[in-house]
Amino acid sequence: MPIFQAQSITAGYKNRGVIKDCSFSLDAGSITGILGANGSGKTTLIKAVCGILPHRGTCTLDGTALETLSARQLSQVCGYIPQRSGIQIDIPVIDVVLMGFHASLGLLERPTESMRRSAVGALAKVGLGGYAEHNYQKLSEGQKQLCILARTLVCDRRLLLLDEPESALDYAMRHRTLDLLRTYVRHTGGCALVALHDPILALNACDRLLFLRDGTTAGSVSPMTDDPAETERLLRMIYGDVRLLRVEEQWVLLRDGK
Amino acid sequence: MLALALCSLFIGKYPLSPGLLLSGDDMQWRVFLTLRLPRVLVGLIGGFALGVCGFVFQTVFSNPLASPDIVGVSSGASTGAAAGILFFSGVSAGAAVTASAFVGALFAAVTAIVLSTLDKSSKNSTIVLAGIAVHALSQTALMALKLTADPERELASIEYWMMGSLNGITLSECGGNLVLTVLCCAVLFFLHRQIILLSAEEGEARMLGVSVGKMRLTVLITATLTVAAVISGTGLISFIGLLAPHIARLLTGENRISTMLLGGITGGILLLGADILARTAWAAELPVSIFTSLLGAPFLIWLVLGKRNARV
Repeated sequence: MPIFQAQSITAGYKNRGVIKDCSFSLDAGSITGILGANGSGKTTLIKAVCGILPHRGTCTLDGTALETLSARQLSQVCGYIPQRSGIQIDIPVIDVVLMGFHASLGLLERPTESMRRSAVGALAKVGLGGYAEHNYQKLSEGQKQLCILARTLVCDRRLLLLDEPESALDYAMRHRTLDLLRTYVRHTGGCALVALHDPILALNACDRLLFLRDGTTAGSVSPMTDDPAETERLLRMIYGDVRLLRVEEQWVLLRDGK
Repeated sequence: MLALALCSLFIGKYPLSPGLLLSGDDMQWRVFLTLRLPRVLVGLIGGFALGVCGFVFQTVFSNPLASPDIVGVSSGASTGAAAGILFFSGVSAGAAVTASAFVGALFAAVTAIVLSTLDKSSKNSTIVLAGIAVHALSQTALMALKLTADPERELASIEYWMMGSLNGITLSECGGNLVLTVLCCAVLFFLHRQIILLSAEEGEARMLGVSVGKMRLTVLITATLTVAAVISGTGLISFIGLLAPHIARLLTGENRISTMLLGGITGGILLLGADILARTAWAAELPVSIFTSLLGAPFLIWLVLGKRNARV
């Protein structure tokens, strides 16, 4: 059952329109992947839904238009992972994770002991147990992404928006990230919209895929239930001559002739 | 810092002794209350505030070279002080110059901040550019004021004010400034969590629940008010806002409320130390900025050349 609907989203930068009239919905407990070539508008779509980019159209979560929410209210229902975090200062890893609680703290409140324990737990979940007091700037790019993932998963939110959260991760951690996301949305009953570069990961880890081409929705499929021929047609539209195969319960994508 | 403050109370041209003070010597008490105590309080609180504001500016702009000058507060204060020296040189000239410098500093900083809000993208770089424009305008006004100044008296006073000094500060002139400084510093400490969050990329900070535009404006105006309150009383004091937060970070290796506090304490130590040197290094009293610059300039070179990858 859909808990989030995006209606006719149009967004861009200054005079350049990137996303044109995109509409889609997200079901409770599901992960929806956005696939598209470079420059197709994946990041722009995520930023428009967040409200970081001004846009036309409406995004509704549980019946509430996200556009009407203050930054604080939005943060309480929606978590966001940017492609790369803009934190440039020397700061302990635990403090980065605790930033996730900011919206639930009053002006003069400090994170509680239980929040601190949750933050340490979230770090352990993403494989950064023992890094709590390390300097965030000294982590590798992949570890930084995991730290930001921990910051997003540390609170219960209805909608997660993730912009290529796996781009700096190794093979095992990419799958671990998507597994953690799956557990999270199932546990909270929320939903996740994830822009992904890796179509094979997307095919195997997402409940639904949204294909973007030149800023418009080219189509959407559920890889596990829909006709593979339709999924292959959409994949070919974006990646050229590719073939979709099912091998031991996993989707595999081959370049034609290879 | 407190030990240095205690030393500072008893160092100077007129020797003070704890014994004579305790015995109730009238002259000793007069010097202590009217000259030494205000000087030490301004050194302590002013240095602390400059260190805290340096931390705030460097964190909000994620720039290790950022300081309150970035929004033109120092050049505005100089222009205000020069106007005060030229136009209010009668009775209670000191208080008039302090008030005029304060108004100049605030006017320059608020102009820069308001100009930056005209750009809807509200990027940090817009504030920096607006600050550069306001700085240039203030310098032009300052040059015009200097041209009309009497070279014997007024011009020398303007130049001396711009070198900064804690000499001759009285509580009647600076009491209000000190109260304002303490209040603004308290507000900055209350907002420390938001200040750290502002160091993130704008969209990221917004999605963490920060109203970026409003909060950045609040923090910058509060920090600017603090610096304006300090330097309008003391004259320009170089490098403490730049130096103190870096020393604090070298000691703690992180950016937390404790680092902000340590930046303030370091600022207090630097200003009190520089003031003691200014009083004792030469027969005549020297401007305090000579000593803060002697420390600050090599540090800046080290920061630029030696630590190319310097972070906040």
